[in-house]
Amino acid sequence: MSYCVHCGVELEENLKQCPLCNTPVYDPSKRPDLIKAAPFPSEKAPVEKVKRKDLAILLSVVLISTSATCTLLNILVFNQSLWSLFIIGVCACIWIFMIPVVIYSRLPIYVSVLLDGIALGSYLFLISLVTNQDRWFFELAIPIVVLFTIQMEVFTYFMRRFPVSFVTTALYTFIHIAVFCVGLEIFISIFLHGSIRLIWSTIVLTICMIIIISLITILSRQRLRDSIRKRLHF
Amino acid sequence: MKKPIQKFTLKRKAERPSWYKLDLSAIVYPTLQRKDFSSVYRLSILLKEEIKPDILQTAIDRGLPRFPTYKVSIKRGLFWRYLEPNNTSGPFVQKDIRNFCMPMPFRSNHGYLIRFYYYQNRISMEAHHCLGDGSGGMCVMLTIVAEYLRLLGHTIQNEGMVLDIHQTPDKGELEDSYMRYANSKVKPPRPQEKAYRVRGTKEPFYTLNVIDGIMSVQEVMAVAKKHHATITEYLNAVLLYALLQKQEDDKVFTLRPVKLAMPINLRRFFPSISLRNFITMIYPSIDPRLGDYSFDEIIAQVHHYMRYYINDKFLRGDITTNAATQRHPIIRVIPLFIKDFTVRQFYTKVQDRNSSAGLTNMGALKLPESMRPFVERFDIYMGQPFSPRTNCAIISFEDTLTINFASSIVENDVERYFFRKLVQDGIHVKIESNRDNGLEVLL
Repeated sequence: MSYCVHCGVELEENLKQCPLCNTPVYDPSKRPDLIKAAPFPSEKAPVEKVKRKDLAILLSVVLISTSATCTLLNILVFNQSLWSLFIIGVCACIWIFMIPVVIYSRLPIYVSVLLDGIALGSYLFLISLVTNQDRWFFELAIPIVVLFTIQMEVFTYFMRRFPVSFVTTALYTFIHIAVFCVGLEIFISIFLHGSIRLIWSTIVLTICMIIIISLITILSRQRLRDSIRKRLHF
Repeated sequence: MKKPIQKFTLKRKAERPSWYKLDLSAIVYPTLQRKDFSSVYRLSILLKEEIKPDILQTAIDRGLPRFPTYKVSIKRGLFWRYLEPNNTSGPFVQKDIRNFCMPMPFRSNHGYLIRFYYYQNRISMEAHHCLGDGSGGMCVMLTIVAEYLRLLGHTIQNEGMVLDIHQTPDKGELEDSYMRYANSKVKPPRPQEKAYRVRGTKEPFYTLNVIDGIMSVQEVMAVAKKHHATITEYLNAVLLYALLQKQEDDKVFTLRPVKLAMPINLRRFFPSISLRNFITMIYPSIDPRLGDYSFDEIIAQVHHYMRYYINDKFLRGDITTNAATQRHPIIRVIPLFIKDFTVRQFYTKVQDRNSSAGLTNMGALKLPESMRPFVERFDIYMGQPFSPRTNCAIISFEDTLTINFASSIVENDVERYFFRKLVQDGIHVKIESNRDNGLEVLL
């Protein structure tokens, strides 16, 4: 039987410190073999996850039935072109986009972003196959999709790796807009003229640069402010 | 032979409705549901022998169907939520955990809003507040524990809060008693003054810090008598005293009144056998802006406040005010999601800021004579607080009074001031806790 020297309360024999004032309990004559079990279990449990199986099944059924009915319509009624492939492609894309939301929520975000990029690329490839024109796909669609996916991965990395605030989010967004617009114009000009010519993206770049520089200034001043607050707090 | 059986089943179906409206208090609790918060309270009973989980499970399977409003799941309608009988298997007894009263997603646990745990000689029941209040829940738990003891071979009578599990539930047990008594001719306004709020460091998701103080009822009563107060009034005053000291220590910029949110069991004033919610809140308070209060002055203030407010007239007015919102024809036809949004805003911005801490006193629990020798004591917990603060729940059985603090913040100042005051007043307090943080840092 121990008492807290500060609070004067009797402490349950398993307590190694007073829960009220954190003073350690020191009792050299305590016999560990005589101590009863603790009044509270030591195991913690996570909050039970709600299964979203029903929603996943509903989504899959709706998408599969849409694809199936369109295929049948294409074969039996409106059979001039292979239009149903576009709808099947869209359904497949939606299903892949929804994987982290309803089907497998533990999928790492980087993998799901990569899968989304692959799905988008595959859909564009499908269009190029159906329309029988593949130059735009290889010279325009693939580079843009690859650039966009890489940027999304980088954006996600930054958002998860560093502390997030409204300003940092805005900063990352504007950097990505600037990079994406420049990349887009480079790809388009190579596709159209065979050489790199930057016109409109320079305007976007300039505006973004102004915003980026001001955001960085705010951020650095914020840090300055934080350090002053840290040193002079009372 | 077939006909009477058919008749019997038809009769039973007619008696047991296929859905239940939420009662007046219960409407609020589900709207506050967040990923990291549910209005869940816990009742624990400590027996004198180790719990046998398989027998407890049988007792639950036999006892719970007696309480149709507890064997339910919650569903969304267009305008209101409702309770629907849940016939899936369960709820199942689980091994107890340290971070109890954890959030209860409505679709987990087979849709049940009730959980049972065991640990050594402790049986715990956790229920979502939308099913009923502590008194209703206690009735369910005691009936199940009585059945558990019967399965172990003891003879336990059905008496008081232990109900007969073979009896058909009375209509009165399932009713929303608020509506029967919400009939005063005037609607007094709700008290709406911002109270002092304990600022603390939020614990990581999901931690519940518990400190239990165990003491003798006789000792507390003697001290309370010295101050010319009842046990509830005395303990209320001690908590207000602790909060006042905490506010003083915090060196806040603007002093605010220190208020407690204290549920009052309305069954004491209005005849009702309902097992659902039938409580209302009162707010004993001390305003330090008026001057420094001595402890005796705090007790006097609490004593007079309680004598003045706790009577059927004032409480009836309070229920009527609350019921008026629900009865309003325009409010009734507003879609649920808009109601949810508004209620949540009101609760976060007004109701939650209206009090500094929660305090509930369930009073002295009476058990059937034959059940008493098997029971050591009771614990009740108000569960995780909505905002980072601490809640206090009190219950007594025979000569053991238990005060259970539950909080989701690291700081334990309020608890320390509270128990130190009791010790100063000459009460012997034994402390149990699930807090063990800080030791590694200290040593």
